[in-house]
Parts: sequence; structure tokens; C-alpha cells
Amino acid sequence: MRKSRLALIVLALMLAVVVAACAQPTPEVVKETVVVKETVVVEVEKVVEKEATVVVEKVVEKVVTPTPEPGRQTLIVALAGAPVSLDPADHRNRTTETVIRNMFDGLVTRDTRSGVHLELAESMEWLNDTTLEVKLRKGVKFHDGQEMTADDVVFTFERIITENAIEYPEPHSSPRKGLIAPLKSVEKVDDYTVQMFFSGPWPVANQMLVHQQIVPKHYLEEVGTKGFVEHPIGTGPFKFVEAQLDDKIVMERFDDYYGGAPDLEPVGPACVQRAIFRVIPEASTRVAALLAGEVDIIQDVPPELVETLQQTPGIVVKTAPGTRPKWVELNVNKPPFDDVRVRQALNYAVDKDLIVEELYGGRAVPLPGPLSPFNNFVNKNLKPYPYDPDKALAMLAEAGWTDSDGDGILDKDGQPFSFVMDTTAPIRSLAEAVAGQLRDLGIDVSVRVWEYSVVKPLLLNGERMAFARDWGDSAFDPVGHFEAKWHSRVEGSPYGRGNFSGYSNPRVDELIKLGETEIDREKRQAIYDEAQQIVYDEAPAIFLILPEEAEAASERVKNWEPASDSRINLHDVCLE
Amino acid sequence: MRAIKVLERILATIPIMFGVAIMVFIFMRLTPGDPVDIMMGAGGAVGAGEIEQLRAEFHLDEPIHIQLWYFLRDAARGDLGNSYIKKRPTMELIAERLPATIELALGALFFALIIAFPIGILSAVKQNSWLDRFSMAGAFLGISMPAFWLGIVLILIFSVKLRWLPVQGRISYDVNLQEITGLYVVDSILTRNWPALKDALRHLILPSIALGAAVAAIVARVLRSSMLETLRADYVTLARAKGAPEHRVVLRHALRNALIPTVTVIGLQVGVLLGGNMIVETVFGWPGLGRLVVDAIFNRDFPLVQASVMVYAFTFVIANLIVDILYTYLNPKITL
Repeated sequence: MRKSRLALIVLALMLAVVVAACAQPTPEVVKETVVVKETVVVEVEKVVEKEATVVVEKVVEKVVTPTPEPGRQTLIVALAGAPVSLDPADHRNRTTETVIRNMFDGLVTRDTRSGVHLELAESMEWLNDTTLEVKLRKGVKFHDGQEMTADDVVFTFERIITENAIEYPEPHSSPRKGLIAPLKSVEKVDDYTVQMFFSGPWPVANQMLVHQQIVPKHYLEEVGTKGFVEHPIGTGPFKFVEAQLDDKIVMERFDDYYGGAPDLEPVGPACVQRAIFRVIPEASTRVAALLAGEVDIIQDVPPELVETLQQTPGIVVKTAPGTRPKWVELNVNKPPFDDVRVRQALNYAVDKDLIVEELYGGRAVPLPGPLSPFNNFVNKNLKPYPYDPDKALAMLAEAGWTDSDGDGILDKDGQPFSFVMDTTAPIRSLAEAVAGQLRDLGIDVSVRVWEYSVVKPLLLNGERMAFARDWGDSAFDPVGHFEAKWHSRVEGSPYGRGNFSGYSNPRVDELIKLGETEIDREKRQAIYDEAQQIVYDEAPAIFLILPEEAEAASERVKNWEPASDSRINLHDVCLE
Repeated sequence: MRAIKVLERILATIPIMFGVAIMVFIFMRLTPGDPVDIMMGAGGAVGAGEIEQLRAEFHLDEPIHIQLWYFLRDAARGDLGNSYIKKRPTMELIAERLPATIELALGALFFALIIAFPIGILSAVKQNSWLDRFSMAGAFLGISMPAFWLGIVLILIFSVKLRWLPVQGRISYDVNLQEITGLYVVDSILTRNWPALKDALRHLILPSIALGAAVAAIVARVLRSSMLETLRADYVTLARAKGAPEHRVVLRHALRNALIPTVTVIGLQVGVLLGGNMIVETVFGWPGLGRLVVDAIFNRDFPLVQASVMVYAFTFVIANLIVDILYTYLNPKITL
């Protein structure tokens, strides 16, 4: 039984490697995925209420739940990419943060399902619109035994916001500065209190503070950045042992760990004795390493292998809602896409459910509009454009596009409806699927694959017609996302930096600016609801889908949940 | 005399390396794609002015000839710059990964030669026998199989199904090995750490086969055809007529003369092994230079690409030099 199963896997993997084609979904799996989606939705809604109260005025009771009897084993996690540095202030890279957050804690942390929670901060309070007072947890130790105090927090943030504060290998500013751009200064009030001063109201402060981890002042002053990146010290659940960043990062449990966010159980030292990250860039190799028992958890399972792994005994596959909404942006300044009817028609012409089933084995959701359905400020009244090819054809006919010469291709004034859809390699199969559906409607679409950094300037210059890709939304907030995609392009600013459709609407621009500084949650929701409705109606893109992110682990791994922001939090994980 | 010639050749590599580096410098900057933009990624918040500041930090806001001047000025002082993304000196990053690449290239070369020599010689000696046909068909397969595909198939068979060999990496995490040269096989022999040697070799086998298969095939074919030529040469007939034993005729008279074209090919292949192993490194999670460079190219990490290309240029030139030196031993009529 086991033998034939293995042979099956081998065969399936080989097929996947050679063809890299899409998997056939089975009804069984679809059902399972639906369940996951539902729970997620409910929990996300719950979060939203919680978030507003939790972070602002919080009385912390130390509810210490006994951690499971510490294991003696080694947990090995396979990453898809290599971290670039182990300095929390010196990178702009998600994988790096995944690794770092196991060795460093921040003032706050985020759980994908329940939102932002206090971590090193005992409470956080807005004294006014622009001043945030943070009280620190007492008795938190760095890995060298020194206590963390307000000095460390001030040092950490000053190192990020001060120009040229990082001296190695040559003086430069932290690449994370932009993630906390409104922060003007930080001051120590007493040993356990700091005040942060912002340039204006910043409603996403809590979400964004998740991305900054506290570093030890005394240690950095002693060994410098060079010594620090060679042997980093933080307050996290694991302490650094050794690393070669392109290969492996070895960490050991920190026995004096204060326990982590009290809201997120279990609280206490980590469960496993040793945790190791290994870098395995090739997906098939990651899967093979898991099957061979060399690693316990693998990141980033390709959709075509999910099915196979799910059917393998001893392997568990889990998914989390994704953070990269996918769409085809249409150049609104060039015919035929300068006609809103044409853009809407294309939205009606794509069968998103079919794509979800066939291409993603059910592990994706259609986008209700410009924001991910899991975004904290998604417009709940918006529903995905339904699949209605007849309506699409009618709208196109209204705009003048009919098949007058009977060659199967729509035309207008003697010109056939024909365009090139640009994309990048990882999105290719999705782009091909959409193009195929549009071809069925009578539009002559071809797909061209580019390297992203090559096509991007052409897109921003409005030189291309259509572009299929995604844009990250890991903060679950419109900021960092909405202004990049749907604000008019402002050269050299974050506004419209990813606006590839050339879309520009003064009201949307105005709403985006308002939303950035509005503190009141309800008002903010109303602002974003309106903005989303406008973008939805004007359809500068074919809104497609949001795929789930899949991770797999051996059955021995307990208490492990993949997170949407692809953080792998090893604090809670146990091995049997 | 020979030593001076060798030294001359090594010194001659310096202008070559610089020429190559300047070409790469210019080509990288002409290639579309902005390093700062890539660094900011698709998604997440970006502060106003942040992009300009980073561009200024990397001197990307200055004219290309000024940037080139900075590069040449620093390079002349032996400073090849710092990686934009990894925030460390490029030479340090390369030095860390070069041993892995060299070890893999040597492993692959070793595998290729122990396969190619017996096959090449035997197929020539027993031309048109089933052995000849079979091995030439095998060689054809070896050339045609993409290393990527071969690597995955080897992993699935030997690691996943049979569980004989590890899937990926250079050494197991629980092996304590004191690093001296960075070549784990060498280090474990030097420190007489036999468990580490066993572990390092087990990790080396599959990637060496995946990388070496094509080289083995090429070398076997070249060796076979050169052997067929030399076996028909007058001096071989003469040796046979003198009554020399067959193995001596084949190995001393025919093989030695067949080696000259073979060594040329091997020399070229060493360059390929060192520079073209990115795919095998990716498949086997082998932390070598190839992966570093490809990532650097995609990130437009200019300093890292420039420094790596200089290292590649240097290795190619040195590989060629070694081939030339070997010629002089194989055929005393040739001088450097």
C-alpha cells in the first residue's frame, strides 16, 4: 500500500515538474477548502472589533497558560527564499522578517486570524492624535540576560528613522524607514515608558509597528552592526546559534523568554529545543525534502502539488488566506480600454469560479473589487462581477464592438479587437486562462511574459495595453496598497507607484488622502467604501482572484498554522 | 622560465577582468530595471522621498560615467563595493559561497572523468560493439537531459523512494565540522572527522551526478573519437608491430596522444561547471555562487554582479592557463 502510494507520488511529482500543469480538482478537496474559507471570514470579522479596543486601552492580566512540556527535538523549516540579513533594521524583505521574528519581538505582533496584539508593550495609548505612549513589559530579557528597557526601544526606532544611522558596511539609512515614515521622534519618559511623536494622525500605526523589532542598545554599541549581524541578540523565543543565510539559520530555545503576547496562547518558552531554517528555493525539492523526512515544515507549496501532498499519509497541508490579489490592469488612456463599457464587459467575460476550480483546485477566492476580501476595510456591499458572457457581448456591442465580418473576432471601424496581455512568469498560467476566456468571446488576446523590473517602467509610461499581476496586501489595510494602485501617479512618491492602468480619479485621490489620516474607524470605513465603489464601477482592471497560500508539514508537527503574511511563528510549534 | 611565463599570464588576467567588469557595469545599467524599485517590492508602504534617498545612497542619481569612476577608483583600492540588498561587502559574500561552488564543480568533474574515461577508451577500442553503441546512446542521453530534470529524478529515486541519500544541502545540521578551506570534504579529511566526511560525500553525490552527467557525455564522445584517430595512427601500428602488449599500446601510445583534444574540452567544461551550475545549485539547495549571482542579477544588485563576474572571468582565464600548462606536459613540442 505504502509502496504504491510512494510510486504514485513520484510519478505525480515528475509530471508536475515536467509539465508544471494544473491539477485536476476533486469534489472532496473543494469541500474541505470551503470550510477553511468560512472559518477565516468569521474570524477576520471578529478581529476587526477586537483590534479597535485591544490595542488602545489595554489592561494586561498575565494569564500564564502552562506551555506544553518542552520538547527536546529539532524542528526544521524549509524556506523558499534566503533572508538577506539578520538585522531587523536593515532589510526590506518578507522572508527575512519571517526568520527575524523568531529571534526578535516587537512592541506588537500580529496573528493573521485575530489581528494585532501587544507583545513587548504592556499598553499603548494615544495621548493625542500624534503622540503614542507605550508602556513596556517589565522583566523582559535579551538573549544575553540584560533587561530590555525604554533605552532599547528609543535606540531601535532612532536607528531606523535617523539618516545614515547604520554604519556597516558603509553608513546608510535603514531600508525600513519608509514603513514608519510618519514617526518623527521617540523619547524616553522613564525606564519602562516611551513616547512616539508622529507628523500627523496615523491610523495604521499598530499594523505597521508589527514590522519593527526591538534590538539591544548595549550590545549594538559594544559590537557594532557588523558584530550584531554575525551574532544577533533579541528578545524573541529563540536565540541565534549559527547561520549561513543562503543555506541555514540555526536557533536554540531561549529558556528565559518572557512568554510572548499574553493574548496568544500558549504563553511561555518555545516548545522545541532547536529550530532550523533551511533555504530550498526549488519547490519540487522542498516537497521531496518533506517526503524524505529531512524537513518538518515547508513554505510555499505550489498549487499543482497541494493535491498530491494532501493524499500522502503522514503529511498535513494547511492553507491561509493569501495576501496578493490578482488582476489584469487595463490601460484606461488608450482605446479600446478608454471606454468604461469595454472594461466592465471584460469583467463580466471572465469566469473567475472556473479559474478558481481548475487552476487553483478551489484554493482561491474571487475578488469582490479592488481590495482583498480579507482586508480590514473591504467594502462588504461589493460582490465580484458575475460571469455573464451575454451581457459582456451586449456591452461590447453597445461600445461598437461586433463581429461584423464573421471571422470570429470582434471588430469596430474595420479594426479587430486585439491586444497583448503582459504578465510575469509566476502569473503566466492565470494570464493564459483569462486570455483563453476572452478569446472565446471573440477578442484576440495574446500573452507576453516579461521580467517585472523590465516591463514596469513601460507600464508606468502607459506604453502597454494590459498587465496581469498582483500587489501585496499583507498589512490587511488599504494603506500601502490602495494608494499604490488606484491613486493618480505622482512621480517620485508612493502615490500611484504601482498604477499600471493610468487610472486617475480626483475623488478617489481625495478619499485615499483622507483615509490615510482618519482615526475614526467608521468614518474610515465609509471613506474606503466609497473609493472601492468608484474603482469597482470604473473598472480600471479585470478583478480576478486571491489565491490561498499553502504550507505543508509532517504529521509530527503540532500547533502549527500558516500565516497569511507568510510568517512562520515557531514559538508555538511542537514536535511529537 | 616557465614560472615567469605563468606569472605573466596571471598578470595578464587583471586587465581582462577589468575589461569584463566595465562591460558588465555598462550592460547592467543599460538593462531596464531599477534596483531601488525592486527593493521596494510590489506591495507594502513606501515613504515619500524614500526612493530618492536610496538612489542617492547607491549613487544611482549620478551620471553613469561618474558612477563608473567611483567603481574604478574603489576597485583600484581593492574594494569592489557592498551589496545593495545584503548590506555586506561583495567580496565577503563571494568568498563565503565560492568554496561550495568549487566543491560541487570538483565533485562533478570527478564523476564525469571516472565515467567518461573508461567509456571513451572502451568504446574506441571495441568500436561498433554493443558496448560502444550502448555507451554512445547513453552519452547522447547525457547531453540531452536537462540538469534540472535529472536532478529532480535523482532526488525522487535515491532520496524520496530509496532514502539512500539526502535531498539537499551540503552537510547535515548536526554534524560539527571545523571549517578550514570551506570545502567540506577536504576539511573533514584535514580534521580527521570521518562522520563529517561521510555526510559531506553523501550530500555531494547527487548534485555531482546531475551536474557532471552532461560533461561526462561530452568528454566520453571526444575521447572516443580522438582515440579512434590515434588507434589508426602509424605509431600505434608500429608499437603493435614491436610486440608491445595491447594495454600498453592503448594506454601509453593511443591514449596519451588522444588526451590533447580531450584536455581542451575538459578545460572548457571546468569553466562551465564553475559558472553554469546555478540550476543544479537551486535544485539541490546548494548554497553556491551561481544562486547568489542569479539572485543578484534579478535584484539588479550591481556591485554584487560586477564582483561575481570578475571572479568568473578570473576562473575562466585560470582554467585556460592550466590547460595550456598541461599541454606542455602532454606534448613537449608545445611551449607556453
